[in-house]
Amino acid sequence: MPAEPLELATYEVTDVSMGSGVSFDAGRLVVDADTLRALAETEPAIDRAAVHVVRPGESVRVANVLDAVAPSVKPDDPETAFPGALGRLALAGRGRTNRLEGVTVLSSCDLVAADQLEAVDFPAAIVDMAGPGAERSPFGSTTSVVLECTVRDGADAADADRAIRRATLRIARELASATIGAEPERVEVLAHRDRPRDDGLPGVAAILQVGSEGPFLDTFLYGERMEGLVPTALDPCEVLDGALVNGAYEWAGSRNPTAFYQRSALIRELLDSDGERLRFAGLIVALGYLNTAAEKQRSAMLSARLAQMLGADGVVCTTFETGNSHTDTMLTVRACERLGIATSAILTETNGGLTDHVPEADCLISTGNEDELVPPWSPERVIGGAEGLESAPVPTWAYLGANSQTGDATWTAVPA
Amino acid sequence: MRVVHYLNQFFAGLGGEEAAGHEPVRLEGAVGPGRGLEVAGLPVDVTLACGDDAFGEREAEVLARLLAWIEEETPDVLVCGPAFGSGRYGYACGSLAREAGRRGVPVVTAMTPDSPGVLAAEGAAYVFPTGSSVTEMRSVLPAIASFALRLARGERVGSAEEEGYLPRGLRTNVRAERTGAARAVDLLLAKLGGDVRTEIVPTGDRVAPPPPVPDLTRARMALVTEAGCVPQGNPDRLPGRRANAWLRYPLDGVTSLGADSYESVHAGFDTTAANEDPNRLVPLDVVRELEAEGRIGALHDVFYTTTGVDTPVAAAAKFGQEIAAELHEAGVQAVILTGT
Repeated sequence: MPAEPLELATYEVTDVSMGSGVSFDAGRLVVDADTLRALAETEPAIDRAAVHVVRPGESVRVANVLDAVAPSVKPDDPETAFPGALGRLALAGRGRTNRLEGVTVLSSCDLVAADQLEAVDFPAAIVDMAGPGAERSPFGSTTSVVLECTVRDGADAADADRAIRRATLRIARELASATIGAEPERVEVLAHRDRPRDDGLPGVAAILQVGSEGPFLDTFLYGERMEGLVPTALDPCEVLDGALVNGAYEWAGSRNPTAFYQRSALIRELLDSDGERLRFAGLIVALGYLNTAAEKQRSAMLSARLAQMLGADGVVCTTFETGNSHTDTMLTVRACERLGIATSAILTETNGGLTDHVPEADCLISTGNEDELVPPWSPERVIGGAEGLESAPVPTWAYLGANSQTGDATWTAVPA
Repeated sequence: MRVVHYLNQFFAGLGGEEAAGHEPVRLEGAVGPGRGLEVAGLPVDVTLACGDDAFGEREAEVLARLLAWIEEETPDVLVCGPAFGSGRYGYACGSLAREAGRRGVPVVTAMTPDSPGVLAAEGAAYVFPTGSSVTEMRSVLPAIASFALRLARGERVGSAEEEGYLPRGLRTNVRAERTGAARAVDLLLAKLGGDVRTEIVPTGDRVAPPPPVPDLTRARMALVTEAGCVPQGNPDRLPGRRANAWLRYPLDGVTSLGADSYESVHAGFDTTAANEDPNRLVPLDVVRELEAEGRIGALHDVFYTTTGVDTPVAAAAKFGQEIAAELHEAGVQAVILTGT
């Protein structure tokens, strides 16, 4: 029996203002900073929180940005939003989900000032709402509710990490909860259907690479760290509906914020094209940033084998962060091609080109040159602590999601 | 705004072929084609000129003098040429453009795409393609004047295709019409239909392994690592990631890398175990034993180190070339390269 589809009800937000009580009415979202702050502070490892609204065109930089989350809730059972990571465990990707469009929740915490990370492990991560870098991050052109957190002194890294993530998801759920009972702008019925393999359309699978290396470097599947994951097939609608949550905060430009899983351009493209120009064979999640050659080869081999079992003629390979993980992508490309499965792969470039390449990788999508410098800018206001970037050009890799290797941005690189 | 313009002897009015050995000179204001730049809206403050043979024959000395003048002027933009099809002039323009560009001066020049000046510029300047004939002067000058004006004002410059300059070997960011995801699906379906396309053509620096060392007992061996191994306290401040340098440390009289004397500053792996015994980063203890047993000829008297994590490939390639050049110079025939 086919799975119950995901009914994605979209509520377009045209105006966000601060006020008393969180509410949503005819596109107008009212954000109650005190209520949201108090919600965040229910997390024991959070000492203090502050909530801000930032809009395109404002002279604001959001610094030390961690995650971006699309506000969502399950209206029939709000406690199951972001199952495992925040709410009660339940299968995601089925039934009604209310989603705010036009507004994102951004979390920000200076993890270096909080003694949680060494500066070297927490490179600059920003979203500019105006100035020369505003167009770099996809989040620079839409309104965001920013949760600025200060971690309790001496909090354990895993506790601090979990607290910030839960607080962010809590706010995302709370904002979306204001839509319960309201009429959505539109409802999309999304489902991944098994189609006959002999319908003449090429089978296309996606291999979504994620990383899981410890606190501040993890990805969560139904709330659990993914370290040790054997390449696994997921229902694409699960991913759109909050089953995957980001907790990896290294290079911002090539980071996969949670919103990129929820709004996944790749899953949407494959669902839209299913039955038209391809047969969506399925979605595989696999780890990148694996430590040893054997682990990398094993994951690549098992991903390719799973794609073959799903009847894929071709796969799109995505990439998690840069450097090390580019080898995981290249080995996955090679493993697929050796099984006769055609590949395309999504990668960011550097001033020196690619970190790794195999001859089989002949169809690469560039998400831009992450080393390109953006001219300096002095915003009137910086939220989330200083990055000390006001007088120097800023590399593209500092802008959240600018070089999205899940394919959720439109930047590419050309000869210059 | 300060604008400096470079010309050869002919275009500066110093003489023809008989003046090709002319010393570098500094002239006030616009000269020759510089007047055309002014007509096109780019005021020229200083003109530098030199004979083409003088440049080619005494390049280092001539460049030093020209660069000293440029440094005095601190121009907002330097224009070289245009050199059209003249090989020697093109080479001078490209070489000066490279050196000034690397010193942070925005530079624009123009010449035929096959001019030796294009290679000489090494991507450090904008080179516009021209035909070989000077008759194009009227159309080329306004184009480079307006481009130079934008460089001088610090305005954003588009891609090689948009602007018309020759690709510099760099990659710039532009917006695509569709997301990376949609393009990945488009290109995959095209590939499944037999049309293989890519947005990235890797430069491909594949190194063929050299032949084996014929006799290790007579070979000079060196130790090189990207493990971030440095003396305790990291006195030369090697970055833990995105290294901008490599370092060398003496091994004269050192038989083992003690945990009290060395450490790893590498940010890409857990260094706990390595720091308990830095010989596992740079295997000096074992190599000294082999040396004592006569199984290797001699150990080079320094080891080389950098951090290999998030280092741009171009930087890493440069480190490799520089270290290899030193090793070659020192007569080293074998290297143990420890990676992490």
